[in-house]
Amino acid sequence: MKIKTSLIAGLALCASPVFAEDVVRVSGWGGDNIVVVNTLLNEVLADELAEAGIRASYEPVEGDFAQNITNALSAGTAPDIFYVDSFWGYPLFASGRIATVSEANQAVADDIIPALNEAFTYNGDLKGIAKDFNTLAVQFNKDIFDDAGVDYLSSDDDWYDFRSKLQAIQAELDDVDGLCVVPDYARFAAFALATGWTPINEDGHTVLDDDFREAFEFYTSLVEEGAGVLAADIGQDWTGGCLGNEYTAVSIEGAWMVGFLRDQAPSMEYDTVHIPRHPGTGERGNLVFTVSWSVAADSDVSESAHKLVELLTSPKAQQWVLESGLALPSREALGDNPYFEQDDREAHMSRVVFEGASDGHVEPFAFGSYGESWKSIMDEALGAVLLNERTVDQAIAEAQASYDRLTGR
Amino acid sequence: MNLSMHNRERLAGWLFVTPFCVSLFVFFLYALGRTLIFSFQSYDLFNDPVWVGLRNYLSLLTDPLFTLAFRHSMAFAIIVTALQTVLALLLALAANRKVRGQSVFRTIFYFPSILSSAAMTLIFIWVFQRRGIINQGLTWLSAHVGLLLIFCAVVALVMLVLFLNGRRRYDWVRWYDPFHFACALAIALVVAVICAGYGIGVRSVEAVSITWMNTRQVWGPLPRTLWAIVVMNIFTTIPTLMLLYLAGLQSIPDSLYEAAKLEGASPWQRLRFITWPRLMPVTFTVVTLGIIGTLQMFDQVALLGDAAPLQSRITLAFYTYYNAFPPGGTPRIGMASAAALILALVTLVMVLLQRWVGVSETTND
Repeated sequence: MKIKTSLIAGLALCASPVFAEDVVRVSGWGGDNIVVVNTLLNEVLADELAEAGIRASYEPVEGDFAQNITNALSAGTAPDIFYVDSFWGYPLFASGRIATVSEANQAVADDIIPALNEAFTYNGDLKGIAKDFNTLAVQFNKDIFDDAGVDYLSSDDDWYDFRSKLQAIQAELDDVDGLCVVPDYARFAAFALATGWTPINEDGHTVLDDDFREAFEFYTSLVEEGAGVLAADIGQDWTGGCLGNEYTAVSIEGAWMVGFLRDQAPSMEYDTVHIPRHPGTGERGNLVFTVSWSVAADSDVSESAHKLVELLTSPKAQQWVLESGLALPSREALGDNPYFEQDDREAHMSRVVFEGASDGHVEPFAFGSYGESWKSIMDEALGAVLLNERTVDQAIAEAQASYDRLTGR
Repeated sequence: MNLSMHNRERLAGWLFVTPFCVSLFVFFLYALGRTLIFSFQSYDLFNDPVWVGLRNYLSLLTDPLFTLAFRHSMAFAIIVTALQTVLALLLALAANRKVRGQSVFRTIFYFPSILSSAAMTLIFIWVFQRRGIINQGLTWLSAHVGLLLIFCAVVALVMLVLFLNGRRRYDWVRWYDPFHFACALAIALVVAVICAGYGIGVRSVEAVSITWMNTRQVWGPLPRTLWAIVVMNIFTTIPTLMLLYLAGLQSIPDSLYEAAKLEGASPWQRLRFITWPRLMPVTFTVVTLGIIGTLQMFDQVALLGDAAPLQSRITLAFYTYYNAFPPGGTPRIGMASAAALILALVTLVMVLLQRWVGVSETTND
């Protein structure tokens, strides 16, 4: 009798929903991200996952994530859902190994900021749903502006207002410079795009036209004009490091500065404004740095994987991410979230960065199938002029020749 | 089943070599074969490979980045191998001298080799910054060049006076007498300190701000960035090569040197006609390891990352990797395979060339 009862109990257990769960393998970065994703999966979304019959297993990757996913997709061992950065996503989208966003999730995609969807669109198909994003904004140290007796930066400033304020600070204070200038397209783009210049045009070519030249001359002359310092000259390699160490009055960075300044300069009185406008067009330029949740095309649990993406990008999940101060939500409607209205410098920086995705000429930080090869040409041109190794004319001519070779123009 | 002793030995032999044979087959022969096939195909890791014949090799020849990487690798290999071989020999000769605290010196000499490549690269990036130690040292030298000349002049003058004075009484006094040298150094140091106190020989100069890493400037056969890696590579490799030379030096019988001394051979003649020929097998090993290591140099270039432009740091090994996994770009496995095979061929030719110029694995006496 006892044996019979045990057998029936066992069969009942086997038939229960616990054993009907789909295990969805999820992969993203390691480090701090492990706690964030696990909390999201095991606490914030625990009820929804149980209801959907999904058990998510997070497989963090330390090291080169892009290379890891590329190899895994090629070998057919990729997890079911994983991060895809817009910067290196193109070859994966082109490979056909990433599933198009499901019909059911199109409604989610409609709620995402359009510039983010654009970053994950390949041949008209959406290949992932943006989980969060960043753009560029200008952070500045209010104490330095006060010491120099210079008006604070404003979101209405154009390039020349911005430059003249930095020049005034540099002229007034001996040991502080205006801005750290870096030979990096990821910062220069804030000026180049404002002119209306397009990095890769409809024909697939890069043309360094007069609009580009205007921005190139403005950016590379900031040091000579007494508005900035070459970051390498003060032992730094990014503008945020210069601001955090109080070497400069401003930085051009994203919302990642919140955490950095909290650790590096907790007592700094700072504020954030939008990228300065182009003096002619009045438009701003900006880059969107974003990462999607994408589904492997050969996933055995495809339906559950798409469902999990829906849950991970749901208003509830994104609200939690936003209120934890971890990242900016990709849902457009969350722009009205009370979090952004707080009288708090961190929340203010987040709001300015959030608004950056929908203000002016905004491009994803992505260069099609060229990737780093495209960006390195631009970085080298910037570096050559900033180090006085080439004139503006020479640098642009050499860069144009390199782009023509790269894009087959 | 009883096996005869002969068969048991044969079986044991096969069992011993099986692991090696398996790894040789899987990681060398199979990998080489696949690389060879890929080099004739267009393959992006995702879609089926497409046979393209020699197109990958022809594309390499017309790719300016490949020719640049090829030039860099050749120049880097020749410069680093030559310098590290000479310096390792000199260091081994110094470490082989019977002096107090010999083991301490050997440990100090060997120390750079135990540091990880990643740590060393990060340290060197810091050292070669525009406001790093190298530029600060150059600024100091530039400001104190007059003082250094005064110091050297005083050393030379004091040694000359002491030598002439000694010669008046003793014929055996040598011009490079260590005691005279120590005295001259002490006097020159006092003079230099006094001069510095009065500002003599010191001038104010602008801080030297040579851009070592993030630059496209070229010095001779290599970009400035790769010269910085030359220094780093030599610094980390010499100690291991020194150990090889040290082992070689200790295997040379003392009787040879004693006989040469009795025949009146000078230290240079002993080095030239005993040490150098006897060390030829070690030199062969050192040069071979040097050529292979320098042609395949990858990690230090990869770790530099955005600290330097690609064109200033690219080598053949990095070019191969860059094509296989272009950051943000589509993998070009065919091009990477073709470049890898050319790198292997170049390495083989370079090793054969060194035998042709007289560096062989047999003692040359």
